[in-house]
Amino acid sequence: MMRKAKKALALALFMSGAAQAGTDLAPDEVLRGLINKIDSSYLTQSPQNLMMMPDNPAYLVAEEGEQLFKQARGPKNASLAQCDFGKGPGVLKGAYVELPRFFPDTGKVMDFETRLVHCMKTLQGFTDKDAAISKRHGANTDITKLTLYVAMQSNGLAWNPPLKHPLEKAMRDAGEVMFYRRAGTMDFSCATCHTATGSRIRASVLPNIHVPEEWTKAISWPAFRVGHDATRSSQHRVLECLWQMRYPNIRNGSDASIALISFWTDAARGQPAILPDMKR
Amino acid sequence: MFKHTSLAAALVGATAAILLSAPLATPAQAQITAQAGSTKKPVPLKTPHTTRGAPTSQEVLVMDSKGVRLATFSAAMLAEHLVLESDGFALDQPTQEGTTGRDRLTQDEIQRLCSIGKNGQVDEKTAARVSELAAASIKYPEGGIKLGDWKKGRELAWSGFGFRTAHNPDDHSKGTPGANCYNCHQLALDRTGGTIGPSLTGYGKLRGNSPDMLKYTYEVIYNPHAYFACTHMPRSGAKNILTQQQIADVMAYLFDPESPVNK
Repeated sequence: MMRKAKKALALALFMSGAAQAGTDLAPDEVLRGLINKIDSSYLTQSPQNLMMMPDNPAYLVAEEGEQLFKQARGPKNASLAQCDFGKGPGVLKGAYVELPRFFPDTGKVMDFETRLVHCMKTLQGFTDKDAAISKRHGANTDITKLTLYVAMQSNGLAWNPPLKHPLEKAMRDAGEVMFYRRAGTMDFSCATCHTATGSRIRASVLPNIHVPEEWTKAISWPAFRVGHDATRSSQHRVLECLWQMRYPNIRNGSDASIALISFWTDAARGQPAILPDMKR
Repeated sequence: MFKHTSLAAALVGATAAILLSAPLATPAQAQITAQAGSTKKPVPLKTPHTTRGAPTSQEVLVMDSKGVRLATFSAAMLAEHLVLESDGFALDQPTQEGTTGRDRLTQDEIQRLCSIGKNGQVDEKTAARVSELAAASIKYPEGGIKLGDWKKGRELAWSGFGFRTAHNPDDHSKGTPGANCYNCHQLALDRTGGTIGPSLTGYGKLRGNSPDMLKYTYEVIYNPHAYFACTHMPRSGAKNILTQQQIADVMAYLFDPESPVNK
């Protein structure tokens, strides 16, 4: 699938990324650890993906993301080096698994993608009209590349979104209500598919939100979606589920989307993130 | 943990960001107004760190056109606000049935009663109400319940097309909306179906095709809550997902001895 040189480069990049993140475990080893811990037909449903994870095409996307991150760009000709993802300006290690969180400078609870866009606007001067910000869900968008680069630096670390600020708690709790809220043509809620162990839609085994070891894989985005031949984000997962649920379009970065992501991240609390993951 | 002043400052800015984009829904407004008259002072919130369990109410400062005041905001109220009042969804998006995204997201009574949280059991009273509503919704075909064409029914049962909107709306002029059975049910041994619902393989062979069995099956497809209050299964008749003829075709797929379901 990939040329050998590219593969070697990807592996080298991944090794350095893993070292930076302070965990010696590669994403596939994190997943194997979970598989050894519990009996889960969700975690084990794709031996092929497990085998391919060391050569995850997402590593190449992350490499481009690193270049973008460090490059001076936008009307203000600045890099993202000073972006504060919640652990201080420029601190990337462990930042991804501690989102969404409340940011005093905006007065809002923000998820990773919303915070990234905030930094691209304030530090680099991009606006909503710029493709760097407006293009969100594709494989080759700046947002996807940057997300992968930062997310990988939390690989193997436990999800730990802060719930200290009352608004963080309020958003998480509202997200829980939304998760169980039935609506749409077919009366679906998130809970329709994600509250039972081992049940399938067609041939796909579904993750159960009440089993944290399953749920950490479920929310480990960005991931390479084999069926899409593309890397996808958390916001994209929300979008796709709601499309299947016959809901209208959810606005990327809306408080509604962040409430859902707050709840689902809390549900994986304490379990190691698999970044990047590879999904069907 | 927080001092009064810093808590208030943080919350005024913060809640404003969530709550000011649109007027609050009526129930929320009422509750906030009731709180406004009280002399209660802002109290530091105990840091909520119960990471699981039922959502709780939050006392927060709300700032809107009526000024700043203390309000009790339940998770349910905030969720309703985020879904229907905060511009989080494309509420004006057209749907295939000629309504809007807002209509899709606005709950009817069955959806509301069946939005049960973690470990939630439907209590007897709720179940009775849901079943009563469901039974009342069922319309029967003139001339009685008959079986249609199992081959057409098979196509419908194995199709997930239809009524999706969001970023990629289904164009109903280019295809007939399906019945979506296969996503949740194993139907026949020739293809793999889902397991969210029970297996229906051998449906007609195991049950026979008595008038009572046909009536029961029609009712379950039309509105399954009549028998299974708060089931995951869609209301294919009551929500106009399938026509009566299409239900007859799907039933033929389940009952016809020639159908792969009974092979």
